[in-house]
Amino acid sequence: MIGQPEFVENPENRCPVILLVDTSSSMSGAPMDALNSGLEAFKEAVLQDEQAALRVDVAIVSFGPVELVQDFVTIDQFIPLQLEAHGLTPMGEAISYALDLLENRKTTYRNNGIQYYRPWVFLITDGAPNPDSPWQQAAERLKNAEAQRKLSFFAVGVQGADMSILNQIAPPERPPLMLNGLDFRSMFLWLSDSMVRVSSSTVGGDMVALPPVGWGQIAT
Amino acid sequence: MAWRAIVHSAIGTRHLKKQLPCQDFGSYVIQANTLIGAVADGAGSAKFSDVGAQMAVKTALDTLAQQQDDWSSMEFETMNAEAETLFKQMVETVVAALRAEAETGEYDLRELGCTLLSFIATPHWLACMQIGDGFIVTQAEQHQAEQMDCFELLFEPSKGEYINETVFVTSDHAVEQMQVAVRADHHPFVCAATDGLEKVAIRFQDWQAFPPFFKPFLECLRSIPDANERQAYLEAFLESERLNAKTDDDKTLLLCLFGPEADG
Repeated sequence: MIGQPEFVENPENRCPVILLVDTSSSMSGAPMDALNSGLEAFKEAVLQDEQAALRVDVAIVSFGPVELVQDFVTIDQFIPLQLEAHGLTPMGEAISYALDLLENRKTTYRNNGIQYYRPWVFLITDGAPNPDSPWQQAAERLKNAEAQRKLSFFAVGVQGADMSILNQIAPPERPPLMLNGLDFRSMFLWLSDSMVRVSSSTVGGDMVALPPVGWGQIAT
Repeated sequence: MAWRAIVHSAIGTRHLKKQLPCQDFGSYVIQANTLIGAVADGAGSAKFSDVGAQMAVKTALDTLAQQQDDWSSMEFETMNAEAETLFKQMVETVVAALRAEAETGEYDLRELGCTLLSFIATPHWLACMQIGDGFIVTQAEQHQAEQMDCFELLFEPSKGEYINETVFVTSDHAVEQMQVAVRADHHPFVCAATDGLEKVAIRFQDWQAFPPFFKPFLECLRSIPDANERQAYLEAFLESERLNAKTDDDKTLLLCLFGPEADG
């Protein structure tokens, strides 16, 4: 087996995160612009921490339709792209895709002798799944994955999101959050801060204490 | 023929930055032809894990040292049959000591959480246990005689799937997750270390000990006649910037060699 160059050049532990972004047409305009600049703020913030920049391994999956717009890349190599909104909301398909993507990534880590942290999947949506989207199945799969501690799933609703469906998808211990207006910037800075903490955490068995959420409300 | 050993714990740069104490500890005792050694790595998340690590190591050594005056008189077969029970009782004694300490200080037992690796090395056999991560690496006599770069990693570090997870002596199922191994024959070289050194000493792809890491220490123990100089060699390595560039964690290294000369 030949090690892949990315792991030869950067043998740091990896802290994987998948951004699962709703790019259906309702996101076009101001929401998409705010999200894109939030993504840039995310990169800049993680870059401030030399170690996190080599460890935080980000992938972006857009849905509407499901597309891997950014395969896993560490932040030092990440060039934020401009996401565009068009299409429908295949949320269930996107979640399933992300779960597969994550398992493949873990296999790649193991094959290259790379150690890793518990991955995060971060879903951002302003709508509801397409009527024909198998979101219940995806939610079921996600629930099992959470129970087996395969990942930590976060759901964020943007104005217009169907929070009751997000509530059924998100794990009970981590209910979905409603973003304050279009404050993606604060959300991404929080994500950066959290990733820096996770990626520098040491053996402890306990949960990493996450920074307080100042950018959203727990939907009730 | 006698054992000579060196041990040192160096604080990690991350702990220095966060003004945390060194949470690692390692020590050994020599009884005639037997060396009993132990190392422990305090949990980063536990408040008094530095105390826990020291107490776990000392209690483990005391328990094993008091159990037998001369371990080397025990047959391999006997040890092989009894090792599991013996180490299990040792861990129970360690946990009882930690529990008493936690009760005195009125805090949770988990605040003393640490890993524990210990071993009994005699000229006829080697018995080892490990709870959590870190590693024990040995070299058998035949390989030493043949001058081969052949080192054996006794256990794969027991970790969860994720790098920031492991098992501690204070964990609920610590004893069930304890790994025990007994090897026949003589293993003149034994090394025990905490996980801060895994990255530089173990090849993760196939869990092999990395000979270039161990050979210089073997050479140091063999050829430097002065005990202080041997100790200085180890300390200089563990405190070096070159090493700290590769690992920001606390690191403990215990190295032992059974050789022809008396300990100088």
